[in-house]
Amino acid sequence: MATELTVLPTQILQPFKGVKKVTPEEYFTSGHRTCQGCESALVMKLMAKAAGPRTVILGSTGCMYVANTTYYSTSWVVPWMHTQLGASGSAAMGTAAGLKALMRKGRIKQEPINVIAFCGDGGGADMGLSSISAALTYPEYNFLILMYDNESYANTDIQLSGMTPYGANTTFSPPGKARRLLHRRWKKNVAGMLAAGHPECRYVATVDASYALEMMNRVRKALSIGGPTFIHSLDPCPKGWDYDPFNSHDLGELAVETGIWPLFEVEDGILKFYGKSKGIAQGRKRKPVREYLLRQGRFAHFLDEDIDYFQKKIDLMWDRWLIPGVCAFDMAEDLKKALDKSEAELATTEETE
Amino acid sequence: MTGSVEVVYRGIFQKHLGQRITRGIVLAAWKEGKVGISFGRYGDSPERNGIPAKSFAVVADTEEELQAFLARYEPNNNDVTVAVDDTLCKGVESWAWYGLQPINKLTRPGGTVLVTSIQTPEELLKDCHRKGAEWNLGIVKGTASFSGLWVVKEDHTDVRVMGAIAKVAPHVVKIESVETAIRNEWKDELKVASARKSYDRVTTRKVGADEGNSEKPYEFQLLKWWEMKEGLVIPAIPVKQEVPGWDGGYRPGRNPTFKKFSTRTMRPVVNFDTCTKCTLCWLQCPDSCFDITPTGHYDANMEACCGCGVCEAVCPVEDCITMVNEQAFDGNSSQFEAYEKDKETYLTSWLPEKIKDKVITHRSHGFQYRGKYEEELAEAAADGGGDD
Amino acid sequence: MSVATVAAPPVQTGPAADKEMLISGCAAIAQALRLASIDVVTAYPIRPYDTVMQAVAKLISNGELDAEYIVAASEHDQFEIVKHASAVGARTFCGSSGVGWMYAMEALAVTPALRLPLLALVGNRALDDPGAFGCEHNDALCVRDLGWMLTWVDTAQEAMDTALIAYRVAEDPRIFLPCAIGADGAFLTHSEALVKVPSQEKVDEFLPKYDRGDKQLHPDNPITIAPQVNEDWVMEIRKQNDGAMRRAHGVIQQAYQDFHRIFGRQGGNPFVEEYMTEDADVILFGQVTLSLPVKVGVRKLREQGHKVGFVRLKWLRPFPTQEVQEALKRAKAVGVVDRDYSFGSPNHGAVLYNEARSALYDLPQRPHVISFICGLGGREVTLDSVTEMSEILLKTATTGRMDQPNYWIGVRG
Repeated sequence: MATELTVLPTQILQPFKGVKKVTPEEYFTSGHRTCQGCESALVMKLMAKAAGPRTVILGSTGCMYVANTTYYSTSWVVPWMHTQLGASGSAAMGTAAGLKALMRKGRIKQEPINVIAFCGDGGGADMGLSSISAALTYPEYNFLILMYDNESYANTDIQLSGMTPYGANTTFSPPGKARRLLHRRWKKNVAGMLAAGHPECRYVATVDASYALEMMNRVRKALSIGGPTFIHSLDPCPKGWDYDPFNSHDLGELAVETGIWPLFEVEDGILKFYGKSKGIAQGRKRKPVREYLLRQGRFAHFLDEDIDYFQKKIDLMWDRWLIPGVCAFDMAEDLKKALDKSEAELATTEETE
Repeated sequence: MTGSVEVVYRGIFQKHLGQRITRGIVLAAWKEGKVGISFGRYGDSPERNGIPAKSFAVVADTEEELQAFLARYEPNNNDVTVAVDDTLCKGVESWAWYGLQPINKLTRPGGTVLVTSIQTPEELLKDCHRKGAEWNLGIVKGTASFSGLWVVKEDHTDVRVMGAIAKVAPHVVKIESVETAIRNEWKDELKVASARKSYDRVTTRKVGADEGNSEKPYEFQLLKWWEMKEGLVIPAIPVKQEVPGWDGGYRPGRNPTFKKFSTRTMRPVVNFDTCTKCTLCWLQCPDSCFDITPTGHYDANMEACCGCGVCEAVCPVEDCITMVNEQAFDGNSSQFEAYEKDKETYLTSWLPEKIKDKVITHRSHGFQYRGKYEEELAEAAADGGGDD
Repeated sequence: MSVATVAAPPVQTGPAADKEMLISGCAAIAQALRLASIDVVTAYPIRPYDTVMQAVAKLISNGELDAEYIVAASEHDQFEIVKHASAVGARTFCGSSGVGWMYAMEALAVTPALRLPLLALVGNRALDDPGAFGCEHNDALCVRDLGWMLTWVDTAQEAMDTALIAYRVAEDPRIFLPCAIGADGAFLTHSEALVKVPSQEKVDEFLPKYDRGDKQLHPDNPITIAPQVNEDWVMEIRKQNDGAMRRAHGVIQQAYQDFHRIFGRQGGNPFVEEYMTEDADVILFGQVTLSLPVKVGVRKLREQGHKVGFVRLKWLRPFPTQEVQEALKRAKAVGVVDRDYSFGSPNHGAVLYNEARSALYDLPQRPHVISFICGLGGREVTLDSVTEMSEILLKTATTGRMDQPNYWIGVRG
């Protein structure tokens, strides 16, 4: 009975048509106790700028809570509220549901209000995955969940999470005399798995703040399309990755150019790659991962065999997965043939009709 | 007898350095039969790149004397304050409501501030705030040593500072104990020699009660419980600040209780003439530190800039943005204002003087690629020993 | 006997009369939620509280209640969702039992500090392992230090009335603290009794709208809620919470007075129910549905000539120290009946025992206080148990001595 669902009007937040058209107002401003060169802080700034003033933001525990509001101060211009680690999905739902009920009952003005709940990779990919998943099944609430991924539990001084790359040095995976690599897990594809698994979710995207315009426009799209949405950003982290902060921007670009971080979006059931990832998907050569890895102290202990393994996994992803960054498997040959055959038959049928 | 040493350092970049120094002091004092503890300041945690942090070594002859220092966050009457980046002498702001704390604030009267620096004492005293009591300024000659969390640059700064501490505060540790501790801890005779060399060469100078920077550093009064809004609510920052004399342009509202400029070791110097207004510096700055002037230029606001250098990295025009060490500047005045006031002087003498100087534009701000630290150390050795 | 709704005779003037319904404690609370026009409710299945969520779902699907009904993926999610809905100004309801309540613990800990007036039903249930659905109070008791108001209800009528009172008190801007209503699993949550359900007009007169004022999260109100703090700020924040809880006592009294005026019920002492205590030599002291067998036992013992009384504690937080002192001070011996445990606590007693004994300590003349641990995991508190406890108390009253400070009543062996 689809008629029962009342979906509030969403707004149309037009994409910025070029850097010179980006609005000046800052809704997340200076004075946060983040590291020099913190790309997660940049993500916050761009996200808030794209969303604009009719926004409430829920921030779960992590760097973007502790550093941004240390101690009893704030850098937020728009209303912001803390939520618990792992509770971003719940915070988004609760806020959106509360606003919806109050608007319906006439207690507050009926208008599109952006609800954005953010989480780090620790709070999103590990602890909060289930609450995000639940949130993405609720088509009647409008909100964006943004996971900023600096590839560690950064706020607690760098521990590995489910999103830490293979072999990286963290305080839970220090390279030692007896064991060089304590962390042999491969990074999960959160955006991919969420896109593949939640048919009611109309928009999922990966972004990178080094491509600021594209990132902001994706935030705008997510806030306009209606229903629950999810964005996953990769944020170079000078502290956890161990590099001179002025390289933050370059490393963000390298992550994409090496193919390690595919930029894609799934919008109303259609997947597209964008930015440099589009070219890579079409066959353009990727930069070697060595270029990216050896500019970060967290991989300084890597031997050639480790770098080769890393390269191999990235190659596998682009050459063998059904959809790089999204579906970590391929189809059996006979299934492929059967699908090709049935597609061909369909095409013939259509031709003859 | 008790003694305490605080090491003021750039968070993360000098975390290992700070720890090594304070641990080393305690280990050395132990050799003399003293007791002691080494600890980082809890409020600094989690440390952030560049944000000033502290670690401490406290030593005493007896356990009872040591108790006065235990279960406390920081000793406030230090025999020695070490600043391992001389730009910290301008004052440190470690978290919101902290205000700007002079580098010598917690040094006891008559104590010593030891700074790793290539500047002269007179130059440093332009930065150090007046203390209102006599103190000493000691210099361990050399540039600031920056590493990161995982890879450490082994340039002997740690042991050189330890050697210097033994010279200026022998009641805390003697140089012989320092040498023994280094030998035990690192099993490296070169390090032992560096410590002794530093001990021999460190210079100190008395500083009068009224000598130094006369500016009053900003501070805040913490609110009483009934002045605080209930429900953990604090007001947000206004979206915009009015700038007197500006018609148009945009200066964002900024957090008044944490300015962040004392995080800088270097600041961007901007050539407003060659700037193409591509917006990238402003857009990619994680700290929103660029004001948009009424002329459409981007002026890095020095009250907000924390010196990360991303603007220099993204700027497409050569020499338009250049990072320059803080020692070349006084105060936080606007570069754009100076440029508007006198373009000639700004462009033909002030700017080139800053950005052409090899010393003050030298950047060694952490890990750049595997092998770079070793290259830098080799270069320094080839230059005839930068470590003295 | 089918569920009967008896229509009250028409009233010429004044607000509409009460409707009588045969409903369980959970369903009674659902009626209160309907009358309170709640905005957001989150559900997650765990026995025995979740019948309230089933009742709420029916109300919504039948159009009797207009609220957002979210089935959460866990109790932690449940309580986080309503916490945030409350922050934007929505009236919310949630609940759990036993280990479900434990799963939500992090959200429960922060809700009072955020000064969010949530109403929660705790269908008291023994904590797993060992898994049992029967009633035990340790689940709700876990939040007693954190700033939650805690009240226990004895009958379905009291459940409904207290839910309305709880919204009024919790949402008072002087308070803004969450309130948990403890209801014994099975005995209260599932048994159906006759409940007078009031009219909407009466409720509207009693319960104002929830208004967060300048703490409301909305784009028109630029605030940051709950920034990170350090040791420079925490004590002041806790002191503010302390102030709110101190004020709660007076606000509760006002609310009960008003309730009595409008609805004609709940006219007694808001904090304690005294049963045959005026001349009692010994008094049993406890909370919730064990009051029922205890009252039966008290009457029986009285018939035999023993002067036994019973005091039922209604609000554990804020603890009504003065009211408890007044109610118990004249007894020679007080037996505190705990349907909970606190292993290793003073005298190996339990929670209520330690609280009551502490409350009585300042009296110039103190009764003996004996701890009875009884009814854990839903074990019935029988007439025999009541007699056993009373005899121990009477012996102490006569001899002036306690043989031991703590007894486990009704345990085999």
